Amino acid sequence: MSDPVLQSAATAAARATPAPLAMKVRMLSDRAIAWLFITPTILLLLAINIFPLIWTVYLSFTNYRANQPGREVKWVGTRNYERLLGSEDIWEYLQATAHFVCWTMIIQVLLGLGLGLLINKNFKGNSFWTTVVLIPMMLSPAVVGVFWTYLYQPQTGIFSYIVNIFANVGPVDMIGSVDLAPWAIIIVDTWMWTPYIMLLCLAGLRSIPDYLYEATEVDRANAWQKFWYITLPRVLPFLMLAVLFRGIENFKMFDMVVELTSGGPGSTTELASINLKREAFEKWRTGYSSAFAVILFVTVFGLGNIYVKALNKVKQ
Amino acid sequence: MRHLRTTLAAAALSLAATTGAQAQDKELTLCWAAWDPANALAELSKDFTAQSGIQMKFEFVPWTNFADRFINELNSGGKLCDLLIGDSQWIGGSATYGHYIKLNDFFDKEGISMDDFLPATVYAYSTWPKGTPNYWALPAMGDALGWVYRKDWFARPELQAEFKEKHGRDLAPPNNWNELKDIAEFFQGREIDGKKIYGAGIYTERGSEGITMGVTAAMYAWGMEYDNPETPYEMDGYVNGPAAAEALEFYKGLYDCCTPPGHSDAYMVANLDAYKSGQVAMQMNWFAFFPGIAKDEDVGGDKSGFFVNPPQNVEASTLGGQGISVVSYSDKQEEALQYIKWFADPEVQKKWWSLGGYSCHKAVLEDPGFADSAPFAADFLEAMSHVQDFWQEPTYAELLQSMQKRVHDYVVADKGTAQEALDKLVDDWTEVFEDDGKI
Repeated sequence: MSDPVLQSAATAAARATPAPLAMKVRMLSDRAIAWLFITPTILLLLAINIFPLIWTVYLSFTNYRANQPGREVKWVGTRNYERLLGSEDIWEYLQATAHFVCWTMIIQVLLGLGLGLLINKNFKGNSFWTTVVLIPMMLSPAVVGVFWTYLYQPQTGIFSYIVNIFANVGPVDMIGSVDLAPWAIIIVDTWMWTPYIMLLCLAGLRSIPDYLYEATEVDRANAWQKFWYITLPRVLPFLMLAVLFRGIENFKMFDMVVELTSGGPGSTTELASINLKREAFEKWRTGYSSAFAVILFVTVFGLGNIYVKALNKVKQ
Repeated sequence: MRHLRTTLAAAALSLAATTGAQAQDKELTLCWAAWDPANALAELSKDFTAQSGIQMKFEFVPWTNFADRFINELNSGGKLCDLLIGDSQWIGGSATYGHYIKLNDFFDKEGISMDDFLPATVYAYSTWPKGTPNYWALPAMGDALGWVYRKDWFARPELQAEFKEKHGRDLAPPNNWNELKDIAEFFQGREIDGKKIYGAGIYTERGSEGITMGVTAAMYAWGMEYDNPETPYEMDGYVNGPAAAEALEFYKGLYDCCTPPGHSDAYMVANLDAYKSGQVAMQMNWFAFFPGIAKDEDVGGDKSGFFVNPPQNVEASTLGGQGISVVSYSDKQEEALQYIKWFADPEVQKKWWSLGGYSCHKAVLEDPGFADSAPFAADFLEAMSHVQDFWQEPTYAELLQSMQKRVHDYVVADKGTAQEALDKLVDDWTEVFEDDGKI
């Protein structure tokens, strides 16, 4: 503030400020200023996260239907929860979701780690291949779902063609078969998201200092021992983080599967979120679907917490 | 006097010019599904614009998203659509929740009589509660489920001979569902012109309404009723009665034996594609698509024939089609009503039919030349005389989704028996009606 012009402008501004306000600002503590800054964020969070959550919990105890605004909203107690937990169909959807989440995680972790180890090697064209491998995860899940329906087409799709090169089994109906459809969605998700796991593994692998491997060489450790005692423990936290992110994403998987199978055949691939959407926005059973949403939220939140505790232990 | 005349003429001219300019500024949005008849309506509506000066804008959404998109629009009180050609099943909800305006006073004022329209279409597309003289739509697009077959393949002497030897009758459009299955089996896996072909394209779609429209074509033909005619909403023994279960089992048999590989999630477009690409000998589809098939380069003309949904125990066809309604949230209701008045005119209705739309007006349908005006016109008339529709209750979406799940589980996913599927369906529907306070 050495510039005299600026100085005089500041003085003029200070004079123009009403005395009580100037006093108040001067009297604010650091803590109060901090609150002043974070209050808008807290208010936004309350408005768009916390309030809807509380409202959903409230609706889950009512018979509310969003498409019938004039209808009397009745408190139905735990009836929605009883119906949900007593419904065979709901358990089937949860089972389908668990099958999808577990298998995608197992396969993607193995493939992602393997790809990470490969890409971590120094070879010609490393950057190019890294980019190529990452392409699927850059696409929109809905688009991926649509074009895989063409790839899976039993008569003209390339998938069936490739299978028949190895085994002459005729047209392979991946989407229409009850046995194959759950694997059809696992294959597509794996194709799309293994690169993501690979990327996080790569971050872990590149954070391992070379001297650790040099030390194991001094101790004449073989490749397996290097992997087991050095690589895996160092990559594990990254891998677990990837599983956490992908696990939550796949638990609420919707778009790709809807485009690919519409939840069929029958309800074979009707994951929990697909059914939730049907209940909430096609059948308009808002109260019932709110109860389902609460159950799913509690499940993900609970499992997520247990997992994060395990992750912290691994980090320690 | 001369001066007065000049002044009056100038005033009249300027008034006309102002009115014209105002009309030019006005625009109506008509919402419907994206399909051939919608394009025909867009063409037809140019006459309305020329006559009224009101511009027409169209919001056509693919069938797979049609219900989702527009029911959400109605539920949210949206102003996107001034006029909506909504599915027949929406009428209960739209009338009950005030999405459509009631048209009785308007019809009375403009002299539009529902007696001028085919009774089945008035009942299905316009009235709520069903059958009462409370009109919420003008019948706009008559439609029913019918069948198309490869007339040129059926006519081949070697196939005729082989079929006759096997079944003891001519290879011709079927008189019942058993005959239909015989034909489908006959063609299944057969090689024609060096290409492997399949029996029939039937509806199996899971997401919206496809498989329900397909299985009900069989269930109606077997004589299934939704409830006890004496006791509304008493469904046990009707929806899951022996005839309904037998029909559902038959439909599954048809799916298992005679559809192309991968035909597990097929609706209108998938059936059309399978048929037009020469993959199937027959397809079920809405009459609305038949003008397009008749004109198609590959399968049109003499190559295709049409037949009504075959009877089994009774004559019955699944109802399609829609009425045109004025959306109550629209700011342009007057202009929208003007459009409906124009559309109800018999001359406009005749042009509507000539462009590929299915008029419901008696002036068109009862014209002596109508049956011969298109290769499928007589079948359309026959089908419309015995159409049956799905529930039109305000809770129709719930009822439909339950049926989609139960029948897809059974027909495509091999889950349980037909009887079990329908028993579960009755349980689902009972719960819906209980929640809605109907039982």
